[in-house]
Amino acid sequence: MARIGVFLCHCGSNIAGAVNIPEVAEAARRLPQVVHVEDNKFTCSDPGQASIQQAITEHKLNRVVIGACSPRMHEATFRRTVAGAGLNPYLLEIANLREHCSWVHPGQVEEATAKAIDLVRKAVARVAWQEPLTPNQVGITRRALVIGGGIAGIQASLDVADAGYEVILVEREPSIGGHMAQLDKTFPTLDCSACILTPKMTMVGQHANIKLMSYSEVEDVSGYIGNFRVKIKNNSRYIDVSKCTGCGECAKVCPVELNSEFDENLGKRKAAYIPFPQAIPNKYTIDKRGYPPCRVACPAGVNAQGYIALISQGKFKEALEVLRRTMPFAGVCGRVCTHPCEQDCERGKVDQPIAIRTLKRFMADYELKAGREKATPMERTKEEMIAIVGSGPAGLACAYDLVRQGYPVTVFESAPEAGGLLRYGIPEYRLPKEVLSNEISYIQELGVELKTNTPVKNLTEIFNDGYKAIFLGTGAGISQKMGIPGENIPGVLHSLDFLRQVNFGVKVSLGSKVAIIGGGNAAVDAARVARRLGVNEITVVYRRSRAEMPAIPSEIEEMEQEGIKIQFLAAPVRVLTEDNRLTGIQCIRMELGAPDASGRRRPVPVKGAEFTVDVDNVIIAVGQGVDKAMLPEGLDYTNWGTLSVDPVTLQTNVDGVFAGGDVVSGPADIISAIAAGKEAAISVDRYLRGIDMKEGRPETVKRVEEVSKAGVRPKARHSMPTLELGKRKGFDEVELGFDEKTAVEEAKRCLNCAVCSECRECEKVCEAEAIDHEMKDEISEEDVGAIVVATGAGVLDHTQFSIYGGGVYPDVVSSLQIERMMSAAGPTGGEVLRPSNGAHPKEVVFISCVGSRDERTGSGYCSKVCCMYMAKEAIMLKEHDPETHSYIIYTDARGPGGKIFEDFLTRAEKAGTTYMRGQIDSVARQDGRLLISGQDFLTNETFNIPADLVVLATGLMPNEDAARLFQTLHISYDSKNYLLQAHPKLRPVETATDGIFIAGCAVAPTDVPESVAQGGAAAQYVLKLFSQESIEAEPMTSIVDIARCAGCLLCRQVCPFQAIEAESLRDGRTVASINESLCKGCGICVVACRPGAIKLRGFDDQQILAEVMAL
Amino acid sequence: MSAEYQPKVIGFLCNWCSYAGADIAGTSRMSYPQNIRIIRVPCSGRVDPLFVLKCFQRGADGVLVSGCHPGDCHYTEGNYHTRRRFALLREFLDYLGIAKERLRVEWVSASEGQRFAELVSDFTAELTKLGPRSKI
Repeated sequence: MARIGVFLCHCGSNIAGAVNIPEVAEAARRLPQVVHVEDNKFTCSDPGQASIQQAITEHKLNRVVIGACSPRMHEATFRRTVAGAGLNPYLLEIANLREHCSWVHPGQVEEATAKAIDLVRKAVARVAWQEPLTPNQVGITRRALVIGGGIAGIQASLDVADAGYEVILVEREPSIGGHMAQLDKTFPTLDCSACILTPKMTMVGQHANIKLMSYSEVEDVSGYIGNFRVKIKNNSRYIDVSKCTGCGECAKVCPVELNSEFDENLGKRKAAYIPFPQAIPNKYTIDKRGYPPCRVACPAGVNAQGYIALISQGKFKEALEVLRRTMPFAGVCGRVCTHPCEQDCERGKVDQPIAIRTLKRFMADYELKAGREKATPMERTKEEMIAIVGSGPAGLACAYDLVRQGYPVTVFESAPEAGGLLRYGIPEYRLPKEVLSNEISYIQELGVELKTNTPVKNLTEIFNDGYKAIFLGTGAGISQKMGIPGENIPGVLHSLDFLRQVNFGVKVSLGSKVAIIGGGNAAVDAARVARRLGVNEITVVYRRSRAEMPAIPSEIEEMEQEGIKIQFLAAPVRVLTEDNRLTGIQCIRMELGAPDASGRRRPVPVKGAEFTVDVDNVIIAVGQGVDKAMLPEGLDYTNWGTLSVDPVTLQTNVDGVFAGGDVVSGPADIISAIAAGKEAAISVDRYLRGIDMKEGRPETVKRVEEVSKAGVRPKARHSMPTLELGKRKGFDEVELGFDEKTAVEEAKRCLNCAVCSECRECEKVCEAEAIDHEMKDEISEEDVGAIVVATGAGVLDHTQFSIYGGGVYPDVVSSLQIERMMSAAGPTGGEVLRPSNGAHPKEVVFISCVGSRDERTGSGYCSKVCCMYMAKEAIMLKEHDPETHSYIIYTDARGPGGKIFEDFLTRAEKAGTTYMRGQIDSVARQDGRLLISGQDFLTNETFNIPADLVVLATGLMPNEDAARLFQTLHISYDSKNYLLQAHPKLRPVETATDGIFIAGCAVAPTDVPESVAQGGAAAQYVLKLFSQESIEAEPMTSIVDIARCAGCLLCRQVCPFQAIEAESLRDGRTVASINESLCKGCGICVVACRPGAIKLRGFDDQQILAEVMAL
Repeated sequence: MSAEYQPKVIGFLCNWCSYAGADIAGTSRMSYPQNIRIIRVPCSGRVDPLFVLKCFQRGADGVLVSGCHPGDCHYTEGNYHTRRRFALLREFLDYLGIAKERLRVEWVSASEGQRFAELVSDFTAELTKLGPRSKI
């Protein structure tokens, strides 16, 4: 039997002014189970609370209803009141008569009173169903997490740490300091910002109680006050901070330069960098953003950005070393690769892709010209002998990787010389034999044994000879037949045979007219070789159109320059003879039909459109195939006649025998063969070591995502110099390559997509051996008891304000930019210079409220600090150069608050700054200066001020990704991403979530003193928490009635906190069981439970329905 | 006092966002019609569709269920459950002979006092136009 007491609060006139309290009291008296009703002017005051306690004792009340302000305001207060009288604090219900009633229905006394009566009746009905709840006492982890290393976070960290508790300070950037570190001087004292900030930063860095996690981010937070569990991701710096001494040698040799964010894009930094000299931690960071597109596109994973970055610095030898980390064919691939890297090159989105292939070639040519030093043989660290069959690109790449791992490798080659199609297919004018031989010698010098004139027909023999693993890279070296009548008569040649003979040095006699059938590289090679053998008339006959020709486009172009014609959309039908002598070919016109399996449109003969071409020879180049006769027995083949292998490990059906290149893929390109050789090398090594061959393969790589093209001026790609047509008689190389100057210029066009290019020059100079390019991001878990969020705010991007010339004229700068210029450690060495011409500005105009107080352009709020910083900057400009004169065009100029702030503005005026109240109409260029036109509000006149520099006082704006962090923490934020305080007046550094505190610009625009104060205040709340023995856990958690539970466990599926587990009862039944500590009391499970077995204490169905029924 | 029809509106507001938003409307002294009676729940995901039906059964003309914006739920996922449950319930209302417009599911954040006030005014006006709900 409940004995309910109803206490109505007047709240001065806040409630009483709009609600007729006596009427409500009267109605309350008539409610069931209500035994006492009283009203009070200010119930939350001491006398008010005492009155409640007295009533409880006097009238033996066992339930309390208070009609007052929002429970979010004083529920905690009144719970304490009730507990003070010996009543369980959860036997209390508050009717919100103020925020939800009197304040929103002013002047409607009748309606507001009726509503108040309803609300009280509802509360009374509910409270009757409330049960006493006892919160559990939980322990507190006395460690704090501070998120954000700006001045607010630094202050909070120091205050908690100095009190003797451990603090984890997480900062996203490589250094703490935030925006304050970017400032030159601070208002109103004109202290040097770095001078007052760095001592605090150093204290943080050295404090025994502070664990500084820089370059880190908070990934996940779970738990509750006193017991948070946090996941923190430590981003890889690729530098071990425990070893780095901050010497900076790495930055000196780093070839990649980009705009410095700290210097607001006015200066440069390297990929290996420290954001500013006084950074804490004073360690370098390597900015690496993934793999560049060229590297990802290359089947063999060649790091083109790496060697290009070094070429741009003139470090040609080192550049070649970078390439040789992956493969040895700089000269070969640099001439004949199909360059998929160039297809994906990001520079191609600006103008043309970088000439990657030619730069690769340049490195090889440079070394060859200077004379290549003999390579040092690799150390033999393993015993297992490996046999490579075939010395084409696949076999040689495989051998190269394996010998470098210390294996004894032998390459077997059936031909007299090594190289495969590289030597016997590709003509000399494309790939001089000298270049190929040089690179094969290099591989031999490393220790690879080469046995030419040695075909391999029997695998068992090889194994018997002691080899433990075999790689087959025998290629697809036989020409495919067309199957037309007359194909076998003399005079008809197949391209691979033709090219092989010429490359062997055998004299091949051709007539004066030759037709080449086909459109691939073999056809083009055959045609251009025929030209060099003296053939007059050469026609390439291709059955599709130009767009579908698979040969390399530059090759096709050069071929046509050499006078070779192409007959498109035609195919031969039969070879014509007379007296057993080839006279010509009969062809038929083709047209393109529907696409075939390769995706290209299938050529279809046009009926009746035959025609004859007179020729002396026909060279057929329609495809290549695997010569099964050349391969050992016992191997499985695919339907296309190629070797069948496992797609990941490249192992054939025979254990220990691997294969790759054309023999597996069919005719493809060199770089794919090299890639296959390298993959096989991984397999062979793992096979020999007896470890899993498939694990981690294929390797997933992260291509860099966004590559900024901002500020990149178009500059055309350097074209390849070629041999004049008149000189192309013999087999001299046609493409001549770049000279040094061109190579360096072309390399400088590279955008350095991944930023750090992994050239590894830094590793060479780091004496502390601190660099580790294989570093991975680490995730650590920490237990903390309190969290302080001090993530700060950014500044609006001034380049969006084109109406003021931002982003249009270089002499329109942002306030942070001028701070960087004024800073002695900044990009201009402390000189304020016009970005356009580097001269000192004489007239400077400051424009206030850029993006502030204006919803349209930015946000509606005032950014608070701009009036003061404009004054500061004007004063400083005068100090730097007494001949400078500044205008500040303001809307309102305020030095807010007491102290010397207002004086500061006066000081700026006294220093000669002209303050003008008005608006800007336009900023235009005039005679090399800027003309600022506007309206002066005080004199009502227009003004036109010629200026050398315009400074935009851009407003503060929270970082865009701040919302994501706040959602992780489950704290509220507003539409502009500023954090919401628990109460805007009385609880400015707390959030509605117990245990999470906030400080600084993350909450609202603040200046340094306010940020320091708030940081300290937040620390105080943390310490208050830590000073308690234990805290009460929220008792409003859910509980399962196992008698009703059907064991369906739907509740477990919906619980966001994984608080529900299955539990087996002794009778064998499974029921749900809720972990009180993890349960947050949301109640989703209650609704999901079909048998209605779950009760949320404090918000159970009975209680809520009682409210509904009462209304 | 007027004999005009005044719709009876029940609102289920989540403690962390919507109830706080309604408080802000009060603190900012915004006005809205007095027809609504607010019931506090920890999360909009706590609101059982049966509560809503009970409201209609007991004579409510309109019911408002309000929670945090998707992505901002204090309990991470509660409002997603709300969204789904009430999408389903709205379809059933038609079947029961209750106009769909009488149930509103909205997202109001803790800073959106203005939005809450406008929402209540709008809803009340719409319900006034619809007229009293016939008994089920």
